[in-house]
Amino acid sequence: MRSTWIFYRKEMLEMSRSFKLLWIPIVFAILGIMMPITSLFMPEILEMSGGVPPEMLSLYETPSSAMVMVQVLSQYSTMGVLILVLSCMNSVSGERYGGTAELIMVKPISSFAIIIAKWLAQCTQVFIAFGFGYIASFYYTYQMIGPLSWKSGLASFGLYGLWLILGITIALLFSTVLRGAGAAFVTLAILALLSLLNSLLPTWFSWSPARLTALASEVLVGNLLSVTSVVICCLITIGIIVFSLLSAARLLQKRVLPN
Amino acid sequence: MDEIIAYLPLILPILILQLVLAVIGLISLSKAQEVRGPKWMWILIIVLGNMVGSILYFVIGRRDV
Repeated sequence: MRSTWIFYRKEMLEMSRSFKLLWIPIVFAILGIMMPITSLFMPEILEMSGGVPPEMLSLYETPSSAMVMVQVLSQYSTMGVLILVLSCMNSVSGERYGGTAELIMVKPISSFAIIIAKWLAQCTQVFIAFGFGYIASFYYTYQMIGPLSWKSGLASFGLYGLWLILGITIALLFSTVLRGAGAAFVTLAILALLSLLNSLLPTWFSWSPARLTALASEVLVGNLLSVTSVVICCLITIGIIVFSLLSAARLLQKRVLPN
Repeated sequence: MDEIIAYLPLILPILILQLVLAVIGLISLSKAQEVRGPKWMWILIIVLGNMVGSILYFVIGRRDV
């Protein structure tokens, strides 16, 4: 427990020294604020770009505030996930190739404690970045487009945050066996496959973790179909996270990374 | 033009955030001991490529991440 705490503090120090705690939240906030602004000013933007007939411009309706938040979430599922996964792809393999792993592994500290500390640090990162971006875009959407229910906002924040945490957990797992870019590539491929299967065969994959993104949107729009599917998705996702953490700890102990 | 000035309070935060991002990128670049590729190239990318440029620097340019 104590060693986990020490290691967690070391991770957070590293994150702030490499400016990750600053630039990732800022990027999330820009992505989040951009969406309500562009959807409000879409007619003006189209007009300035020219070549759009005025009849089409008059047909444009500003989307509802809930729809804008759904679009913000879909921004996060492309750019946001990409940035988070790329930023933690080196978290275990970097220690190995940077030479600090030898110093740590000779100490009587369990590999599980290391993985948990790294995971908690990444979770903190996700929480700060996604929280900052989400609050910023929520505030903007509320002020510019229309009122939103903060309860459903909070629920969708939780559901979507769980999906992001699943992403970084898988990245952490693969960073124990692959070098940086490889780990990021495999993680993004798995996440893309999950989302693709979920959108192609929604009835078969109603339990899939990728459903979390759809559920987060449904909560925002306010037509959540079944609470049981939320519970099942959350439980399965948490199960996958725990399993990934345990296997990451085992793989770290066995030192399967190539030299 | 009047419209732009009317909406300036809304757009200003984005500009400020982008500026802060670029400044953080430049500070990090000046402190970095080695980066992938020449440093002047990254300065150009961060300054000219606003948000995407800074992201590229932080993700690809830094060696010690």
